[in-house]
Amino acid sequence: MSTIENQLVTVTVNGRTYERAVEPRKALSDFLREDLELTGTHVACEHGFCGVCNILLDGQTVRSCLLFAVQVDGASIETVESLAAPDGTLNALQQAFNDNAGLQCGYCTPGMLMTAKEYLDANPDGGTDDQIREAISGVLCRCTGYQQIVESIRAAASAGKGA
Amino acid sequence: MKPAPFTYHAPTTIEQALGLLASEPDARVLAGGQSLVPRMRLRVEKPATIIDINRVVGLDGISVDAGAVTVGALVRQQTLVTHDGVAAVHPLLREAGSYAGFHTTRHRGTVGGSIAFAAPWAELAATTTLLGATITVRSTKAQRTFAASDFFLGPNQTALAADELVTEVQFPPAPAGTGFGFHEASPRYRDYATAAAAASITIADGVCSSAALVLLRAAPAPLSIDVASMLVGRVVDDAAIEDVVQSLAGLDPPTDIEASGAHRRRLAVTLTRRALADAWVNAQEAVA
Repeated sequence: MSTIENQLVTVTVNGRTYERAVEPRKALSDFLREDLELTGTHVACEHGFCGVCNILLDGQTVRSCLLFAVQVDGASIETVESLAAPDGTLNALQQAFNDNAGLQCGYCTPGMLMTAKEYLDANPDGGTDDQIREAISGVLCRCTGYQQIVESIRAAASAGKGA
Repeated sequence: MKPAPFTYHAPTTIEQALGLLASEPDARVLAGGQSLVPRMRLRVEKPATIIDINRVVGLDGISVDAGAVTVGALVRQQTLVTHDGVAAVHPLLREAGSYAGFHTTRHRGTVGGSIAFAAPWAELAATTTLLGATITVRSTKAQRTFAASDFFLGPNQTALAADELVTEVQFPPAPAGTGFGFHEASPRYRDYATAAAAASITIADGVCSSAALVLLRAAPAPLSIDVASMLVGRVVDDAAIEDVVQSLAGLDPPTDIEASGAHRRRLAVTLTRRALADAWVNAQEAVA
């Protein structure tokens, strides 16, 4: 149906460089999941409300569902797959979520973790609970009531290394 | 949902972007995409062509000069609200700008995009109006400037022509002794505003020498209330603020799925009280 040509995108994700041809309308979130088979990034609302698809684009959190893959040509991206060690060992932030029941169904967790990583990188001492709540206010969780997520982020900071 | 197919252009100069805007009949400018892309995903908008201006050079500068602030259209909202030089001369931009979405959406969302898009809840539309900002737009044919008060015509409606691009917003210096206040009500923390009020008061010789009030969602576009006629020459105490509140009795805010007009009128009254009270306190600090 569409006569629109695919465009070539070169992007570095979690330290590895990929080159793919994509349709311009393809969202970055779908590109990560379908073209690069990095399914750790979740998609929920797909129009920018929920924050579940948050990733780091050149070091800053963005909604990956509100970017088109063609826009990130030349960029550097970090997804939730960047957190654990290659052998699957959780990093301090993931371990803190695990230890403090910072997740239940797990759907928002990739977005929460990447948003928390950005926050802890900027606030290694963890800051105040109000600051943590402000930081994660753009990511919806429908299970935890957020309290355990705040505790997880505080625990990760106390563990000495956020991410 | 997935957006409808479109042809994608990523110009690197303003001239290229304007040329595409002039030649493509069904084109939309993509800046931060935090408003446009959700609408494309809901297929409320199905542009045939997307002109992505994120790689255009020369649109992302901020300058602060003798109290005046000039902001390029591509400046990210988060860059604006975290800019200490801007906050020093126009604290309202940080105060009100922090209500625009979340820091994650402000990383992408742009100042020019917020203004060109003119969502009815756009805090930046209210602040440009309150601060008397000038909005510069360009096409292949001409450059035009608008007073913000003439630019916003209604929900998602502006004076911008289809072939024009917002390039810059200029905020004039605030007079010495000026304080600001901004208050907003939304159903959930950091959600779209149901109503908001932005106020400024300047103090000279212990009394109000100028004042402004802009209400968001009290009318189809940001609504300026002539508070100067009620406040100039006075100490802005509770009695003075109640005079302003009395003048809001005739407000007829829009009713929609989110809130009734009557509810918005009550919110406008409460938020006006808070915004004016803050502006007065902050103006007193500014003269101290």
